[in-house]
Amino acid sequence: MWHRKGDVSGEDRHNPRQITSTLTGNPVIRSPLKISTKSVLQDQAGISDQADAVSRESRRRWRAWFTATGFASPWLVGLLALFIYPFVVSLYWSFCQYDLINPPRFVGMDNYEQLASEFATGTGIAHALWNTGYYALLSVPLSIVLGVGLATLLSCDIRGQSVFRTLFYLPSVIPVVAASILWMWLLNPADGLVNSILGSLGLWQPQWFTSPAEFVSSESLTESAWENNSAPIGSKDALILMSLWGMGNFMVIYLAAIGDIPKSLYEAARIDGAGPIRRFINVTLPLLTPIIFFNLVMGLIQSVQAFTQIYIVSEGRGAPADSTLVISLHLFLSAFQHLNMGYASAVAWLLFALLGLATWFLFTTSRRWVFEGVR
Amino acid sequence: MNTASSIRPMLIITAIALLATGLLVSQQWLTSSNVKIPSGREEVVFWHFWGGADRAIVEDVAKRFNESQSDYYVRPIAMPGNNLDLKFFLSVTGGDPPDLLNIDDPVIADWGHRGAILALDEVATPEEVERLKQWLFPAARRLVTYEDHLYGVPNGLDIRALYVNKTMLARYGLSTPKTIADLDHIAETIAPPDQTEPYRHHGYLPDSRRIWAWGPVFGGQFYDLSDGQVTLTTPEIESALAWMVSYRDRYGPSEIARFRHGDQSLPGKTFPLFAERYAVVMDGQWRVRDIRAFQKSQADKREEITQFEAIPLPVPPGGKPNAGWVNGNNFVIPRGANASRGAWEFIKYWCGFDGKEAAAAKTCVAGGWIPVSQNVVDEPHFQQFLEDEPMFRTFIELAGSENQFPVPVIPGAPYFNNGVKNLAESAMSSSTEPDLRQMLSEAEARIQSHIDRARTEQ
Repeated sequence: MWHRKGDVSGEDRHNPRQITSTLTGNPVIRSPLKISTKSVLQDQAGISDQADAVSRESRRRWRAWFTATGFASPWLVGLLALFIYPFVVSLYWSFCQYDLINPPRFVGMDNYEQLASEFATGTGIAHALWNTGYYALLSVPLSIVLGVGLATLLSCDIRGQSVFRTLFYLPSVIPVVAASILWMWLLNPADGLVNSILGSLGLWQPQWFTSPAEFVSSESLTESAWENNSAPIGSKDALILMSLWGMGNFMVIYLAAIGDIPKSLYEAARIDGAGPIRRFINVTLPLLTPIIFFNLVMGLIQSVQAFTQIYIVSEGRGAPADSTLVISLHLFLSAFQHLNMGYASAVAWLLFALLGLATWFLFTTSRRWVFEGVR
Repeated sequence: MNTASSIRPMLIITAIALLATGLLVSQQWLTSSNVKIPSGREEVVFWHFWGGADRAIVEDVAKRFNESQSDYYVRPIAMPGNNLDLKFFLSVTGGDPPDLLNIDDPVIADWGHRGAILALDEVATPEEVERLKQWLFPAARRLVTYEDHLYGVPNGLDIRALYVNKTMLARYGLSTPKTIADLDHIAETIAPPDQTEPYRHHGYLPDSRRIWAWGPVFGGQFYDLSDGQVTLTTPEIESALAWMVSYRDRYGPSEIARFRHGDQSLPGKTFPLFAERYAVVMDGQWRVRDIRAFQKSQADKREEITQFEAIPLPVPPGGKPNAGWVNGNNFVIPRGANASRGAWEFIKYWCGFDGKEAAAAKTCVAGGWIPVSQNVVDEPHFQQFLEDEPMFRTFIELAGSENQFPVPVIPGAPYFNNGVKNLAESAMSSSTEPDLRQMLSEAEARIQSHIDRARTEQ
């Protein structure tokens, strides 16, 4: 470790009379009362050497800093121009009326008042928030349950294990646009593959992307919802199904986490007489909770920000009947179709605040269920 | 060590210089045009969304225009149509808009209101503008008029009519519908509502998006231009919606969704009218070409040729004849365009205004587009086309009708458009009995609030 001349380490502070020269390593005896001429001259020569050394060091540090900054500058420029600047400016715009064509005009809290009035009447942002909540609160827990389940099965030492792993991971590498179009064909209520199979099995044939129905709703409990061989499964449910199909990324993380669990724990559990289910509940699941927590937070953020697939299946307008108008789409349409960038910025900040709150809530409650045991 | 230290800054500087040069060269290479602008001419950059065969037609029009005069040179640039408005805004915000843009979304009023596009008064003489107003079909004029100013010119109209599979109707002992009752009868005969078997054929099923067409047919208007009020709660609009919802009552919401899904956009032979999934379908003039191709393929295979007809939308008692919803592809000149005069000259050439009707007729025939003026229709070349394609006559008659209305040309029109579509979609897909009056009333208040806000912006 380098110290500047005269620097005093923590220990030395307690003994001001004997200080070790940090450059030469020799002890330097200093008395506040007696200082010899020789030692002063030696010190002056040392000071000159040390000043040169410090100057060289300073230059070296600056060079290193410039080199590092130079290499990092493409990323820094991107960060500043594409993240920090929009982040800050969108806060200002959220207090403005801005249509992308004319300069922003400050309007105070107008945009936030509009958000509040939409909440009060259950329109606009309130509707978008409902759709987003429905999608996120169903797709994230389901992806966790299915992901953990699949990863547990795929971690079993069976023949063709890697083939199965690849097959389940494959959907997540398909581009989202291609996957969306594929699912629109598969879930075509008239002649899609899924309904054809369901029909041939004599099962209900939902209307998928063409219906605003919600499976998790009181209407599902009515008899009329299941009439005519139909089912109250609509566009948001279809999107959830789509998201589960592409959960391979999360599954791979679970697989890695399961592989990281010490075998000795399973052996100990087996010796104690635990069966496969007991071992899963008492060993695998607790040790997976940090990963489940990570995927929960990331999944929540991803599902709230989901846009591309929803834009594609909803004709770019939240069809049918605004049932797929999630917050991100509402924001996009407000900004670029209705030319209300100020309001869209306010929506973005609301989304940011909601995500922040949700993440804070998850972190706060995580202490109760996330197992931080020793691996 | 010292040598290395002195070389390193030079290497870094050289690397940065190479990178900068590479970027500049690639930028120049990417943005450079192969088109050589003849000296003494002003370039007119024209953004459009036509691809495939239509793109060649657009380029041919530009070529003919460039050959026809010596002041301007139009350079057409085909842009993907999806989110063209967004790309346009970015160009405006970036300070480099095109000189001319063609767009088919109902954005004229929004853009005009915000000053993003020029009113034609700013590029044409008052006399020219007045003449143009008289020259255009009423529907074409309505499409581009905001607060009594023309903000563009449509190059063609999109009109909806009913296509009827006459061969299929004859099989059921039915004839072409003239009234709404006839249409209902066709629907119930071909697909009896009490049928227990899954439906393989339908006579007719209304598309919720087409409430914009059925509203005027029932004699209604969605907006009162005189007082700026949304008028969804008028008895006529309610009747139109109630009639559309009656199909939900007959067949159930899921059947409508199941049968309609994706059908409207199916191209060529997969068009459901050919596959006899429907006997009657509402669609635009572009299907005439598809029908002709289908009949030709039947003739080539020595099959029986299916007979089709295009008819105006049938009218209920008290309704309006030849009514419906009109849309169009509109030329607009962005504010800040470098060659606005050249853009205006090209618009006139393409549309046929100011004595250029013969060239416009040729363009419309090539693209299968509906002219925006009777003067172009009257051109011998177009008349010959109508002789060859009699089905197209229906669309020409509808284009000249006073009862064809676009989505109201007001600020907030895109929201209005979607709001009305969503209303019909919700009513037709509701699993419980929809309260139409309440739905109309809520939608009216919501849309009114939005457009009031849009009107006061900027």
